[in-house]
Amino acid sequence: MTTISVSPEDNPAKHPLPRLTGQQRSWHGRFEAMASPCEILLDGVVRKDAEQALFHAARETWRLERKFSRYVSGNPVDRINQSKGEPVTVDDELALMLDYAAQCHELSDGRFDITSGVLRRAWRFDGSDHLPEKNETDALLDLVGWDKLNWQRPLLTLPKGMEIDFGGIGKEYAVDRVLLDLKRSLPEGSSVLVNFGGDLACSGPRANGKAWIVGVENHRKLTDSSETLSLRGGALATSGDSRRYLLKDGVRYSHILDPRTGWPVPGAPHSVTVAAPTCTLAGMLATFAMLQGAGAERFLEEQDVAFWVQRSAG
Amino acid sequence: MQLTNNEKNGKPVGRALAAATCALLGVQATDTLARDEPGEWDVETALLVYSETDDRVQAAEPVISATRNYDGDRKLNLKLIADTLTGASPSGATPSDLPQTFTRPSGSGSYDVAAGDAPLDDSFKDTRVALSASWTAPLNRDYTYTVGAYGSKEYDYLSTAVNGSLSRYLNNKNTTLTGGLSLGVDIVDPVGGAPIGLSRMPLKANKTQAQFDQEFAATRESDDTKTLVDALFGVTQVINRRTLMQFNYGVSYSSGYLTDPYKILSIIDDASGANYGGNLIESDGNPVYLYENRPDTRMKHTLYWQTKYMLENGDVMDGSYRFMVDDWGITSHTVDLKYRWKMDKSYLEPHFRYYLQSEADFYKRYLTATEYNGGTPTQSEASADYRLGELTGLTFGAKWGYRFDEDRELAVRAEYLIQTNDGDKGFGKLASQDLYPDTNAMWLQLSYSF
Repeated sequence: MTTISVSPEDNPAKHPLPRLTGQQRSWHGRFEAMASPCEILLDGVVRKDAEQALFHAARETWRLERKFSRYVSGNPVDRINQSKGEPVTVDDELALMLDYAAQCHELSDGRFDITSGVLRRAWRFDGSDHLPEKNETDALLDLVGWDKLNWQRPLLTLPKGMEIDFGGIGKEYAVDRVLLDLKRSLPEGSSVLVNFGGDLACSGPRANGKAWIVGVENHRKLTDSSETLSLRGGALATSGDSRRYLLKDGVRYSHILDPRTGWPVPGAPHSVTVAAPTCTLAGMLATFAMLQGAGAERFLEEQDVAFWVQRSAG
Repeated sequence: MQLTNNEKNGKPVGRALAAATCALLGVQATDTLARDEPGEWDVETALLVYSETDDRVQAAEPVISATRNYDGDRKLNLKLIADTLTGASPSGATPSDLPQTFTRPSGSGSYDVAAGDAPLDDSFKDTRVALSASWTAPLNRDYTYTVGAYGSKEYDYLSTAVNGSLSRYLNNKNTTLTGGLSLGVDIVDPVGGAPIGLSRMPLKANKTQAQFDQEFAATRESDDTKTLVDALFGVTQVINRRTLMQFNYGVSYSSGYLTDPYKILSIIDDASGANYGGNLIESDGNPVYLYENRPDTRMKHTLYWQTKYMLENGDVMDGSYRFMVDDWGITSHTVDLKYRWKMDKSYLEPHFRYYLQSEADFYKRYLTATEYNGGTPTQSEASADYRLGELTGLTFGAKWGYRFDEDRELAVRAEYLIQTNDGDKGFGKLASQDLYPDTNAMWLQLSYSF
């Protein structure tokens, strides 16, 4: 096992250093970021290239984590959230992200909204029966809605009291970014799989031409992977988390909140996993499907993608 | 309110979302899952040089094989092989305490074998060119099929075959079931025509050319064909991350001209153990040799079991066992073991093979005068071809390979074979002859793939 040294300025969150294991031409790199175990699997590269790849992957992921997390004070997202109604100039990367958020908001008829994070103040999904009062959520709805923002690239004006949160995009985006970088920098003939806590993408089949075998978590069991599938290219992403819900009078309130009502989406599945060409797209389709609630499967069938929906028995 | 596909901007959600995602990531839009770019040709080249000791068969065989990957699953493979064989191979006749003369297969000319020497037919020269093509593609997620064709041409032999197989993947491709079928037609056109089985080899001594020619023509029949049908059923099972196991059952049926037109048998006098003939028969005064004759059908059953195991350090152990039984009375066992040592960029793979075979029912090292029965042999089939006798083969070898990079590999393989035959030791004068000389061979293969 080799530990890759990363300078402190590239590791502002002071994560443990990345570790590389493997041999010959097959490598497994691990690090932590975005509250997930992150790993890259490399096929057909020599040790030196594998170390280099892991170094880049960790550095880039930590950069994105620092930039897009809403918990890092002083980062661009924090500056926007602290702007108190003043216009903020954003860089190209953030601008692309805001454009994307705008398109997702429109395509989902307002169901996907990066300003919906404030609703968390009313909802604590701890498995208890504590539901908020309707007036509590209605009050918060005044602070929710992408259309309340003024986005004139490169200027974003966020009304006072509102917040934006890229939590629904960041991790999948990081997977794609890292994969794109590694595909560019690694020699011809190598193959890569990037997996951040179950959201993953690969450059193609393994160096030996075989598919990557990927586990799909069964959210009902909360155990290790229960189903495996072969991935020859593209990406998988999962939306949902069965550990977060409320239960009152036999009704299960999922943590998927509809930003238009302030209440959980009725009939939302436990989790949705989607296969798509990129992780970001897979994740967004999975999120859209969750927001459809009971209509998740029908929505996904119309999109013509491979998907797995977990619902509770009965 | 449902999200539907007749969306704003006239775009279905998925399509529009895909386009938006591509814009975010700065990549080209793709409609389907990432596919391999249509790949380049993967080419393997090899040169095999084979040499048996004692001036026996020498062979050189260049091979070029090219595979084109259209995506991860669909492959076209083309293979060209050329063989050049020279040297001498045992004719089947027994050595004798007297010099012997044999007619060449073509009927023109003869060759001599010194007393005590193994009769080898040195008129043996051959060039073979073989071409094969196969196409593999998935039918759907669970099925893959392969179709192929094969053709080879030597100056006295044409072989053609078509084959197909279907594989079914079960439990996440950890189990593969394969069924395959191959149909072949071979046309045998021996030099001088195919001899009539168990007819007497005409010898020129003490005859006019015209007499000999007439006799030679009388032993010939036209060229002949054989058909082959092979069926295979196999199971491949991934036992765990390091172990792969394969089990095959094959059945092979061939019918038609299965005899070797160049192999003969000596007739031995029951009393003395000397070659029968001379003054013992007619006025010819020559020893008697018969052309061999084999059954015109053969049914083979094969069971094959292979296990590959990868050790913690990346070394690979590979062992296999093959059992074959046919209706000619031959049973054989083959044990093959390999161990691949991995080093940084190269590997070394020692190889050991043990082969054991029982003799065919009609295998005879020679026929006695009684069995010859004055030209109407008491048995309808007989062959002295050592490859149908009881034999044991041991092969030792090693392969060394070096990988320059992901695509290019150079490998050298060297193997040494010791094959010993055994059987009836003869009687009288014949008992002092070596009826079962060992076959020792070595071959060297140089291969390069890019």
